[in-house]
Amino acid sequence: MALLKPFSKLPGLNTAIILLVENEEKLQLRLGDALLKETSVVVNVRLAKSLPLPVNERRPRIDLVVFIINLTSEPSFQSAEASLKYLDPGYFLGKVCFMVTKARNASVPTRRLDAVRMLAASLHCPLLFAEDQTPEGVFGAADRLLTILKGAAGLVPFTTPLYLSHLTRCTLPPDVDQPSFD
Amino acid sequence: MDASEGLAIVNRMVETVALSDDADPGSSTTLKETSPTDMLRLKQQMSNQCFEMEVQLNAGKNKRSCSASEAERDLPDFMSELEEAKVVHFNSTLALHRMQMWHALEENMNQSDPEEESLKFVSDRCMFLCSRIKKLQDEASKLQEEITETQKNRLEIKRQTHEKMKEMEGLMSKMEHPDSEKYKAALEKGQANLEKYKKMAIMTQNVLQSILTACKVNWLDDPKLQEIAMTLEEFSIPD
Repeated sequence: MALLKPFSKLPGLNTAIILLVENEEKLQLRLGDALLKETSVVVNVRLAKSLPLPVNERRPRIDLVVFIINLTSEPSFQSAEASLKYLDPGYFLGKVCFMVTKARNASVPTRRLDAVRMLAASLHCPLLFAEDQTPEGVFGAADRLLTILKGAAGLVPFTTPLYLSHLTRCTLPPDVDQPSFD
Repeated sequence: MDASEGLAIVNRMVETVALSDDADPGSSTTLKETSPTDMLRLKQQMSNQCFEMEVQLNAGKNKRSCSASEAERDLPDFMSELEEAKVVHFNSTLALHRMQMWHALEENMNQSDPEEESLKFVSDRCMFLCSRIKKLQDEASKLQEEITETQKNRLEIKRQTHEKMKEMEGLMSKMEHPDSEKYKAALEKGQANLEKYKKMAIMTQNVLQSILTACKVNWLDDPKLQEIAMTLEEFSIPD
């Protein structure tokens, strides 16, 4: 039941490790497969249903934590919210991102989308929207995650996750009606 | 991070990875065919990661040295500083991208020898057409401006004409107004009189005509009488 820390271990050589946290375990496997197609960098995908993770000394350093939230189910959101407590504050300097699925579904209450948006804005984390029905959508989502992952793992020259998160975030107070992130 | 230190770290890491070869087969396969550029890339990545950790360590140190109220007070300054740095960064990135693009274009122009002539021709033609378009656009806008000016003038003239017409109408009605009642009454009276005298004249005519016919005078013989008889038909009898 330990806090997950971003700098407790040394980084691997040319390796980026991503942790996909999804309560329903619907998308994470497909997304992981899509992420493993990357060849220039060794991508290590780890899956979890929720945080905290069981104590495991051999677990490598995790560079990016992705919370996948299904907008049509409330438990998904609640589980992600509860899991956030088990992350070290250092992760919120550019090493956490939220991925929302089924946002186009008609049965999504707008309040939940607003809540997710508020959550992401208050934690200064990027919020991505993904299409999980089609393989193209999954590949697109994996592509976007890879871009963030490479930055978060420090594999992009002259860029650190902290720097990236400062560059992408808005200094104005977050407004619910206006998405603060691209 | 200085270069020799970074390289040393890379060497050390390569060694450690080589030692733990069986433990991590995924990364070892990629390492077997590393070229110098790959090595340099890895070095860059490592120094980047070291820098990140260094920043993290220093951030922890700085946090302890200042109180909450001071931090609160300094926050806006830092925010604006951050904003400025961001703006500078974006601007310079933009400038860099533009320069890169232009450089690439130039290189492309210089490199492709066989197509150089055609490319130059096309670009010249493009330039000519662009300048021509510009000229024509200028002309068109000038003409358009003239048209608008003329239309404005026309509108102005129309408005003035309207004004003048209104003024004239007003004047006419004003001039008519004081005498019109009197004039009308006089005209009616005169017309009534005229009607009355006309009736009387017609009656007299009839009487005279009847007298002439009754007397059976041959009025054609006497020129004076003829003249009178001829004028008897001057006022016709109204129906």
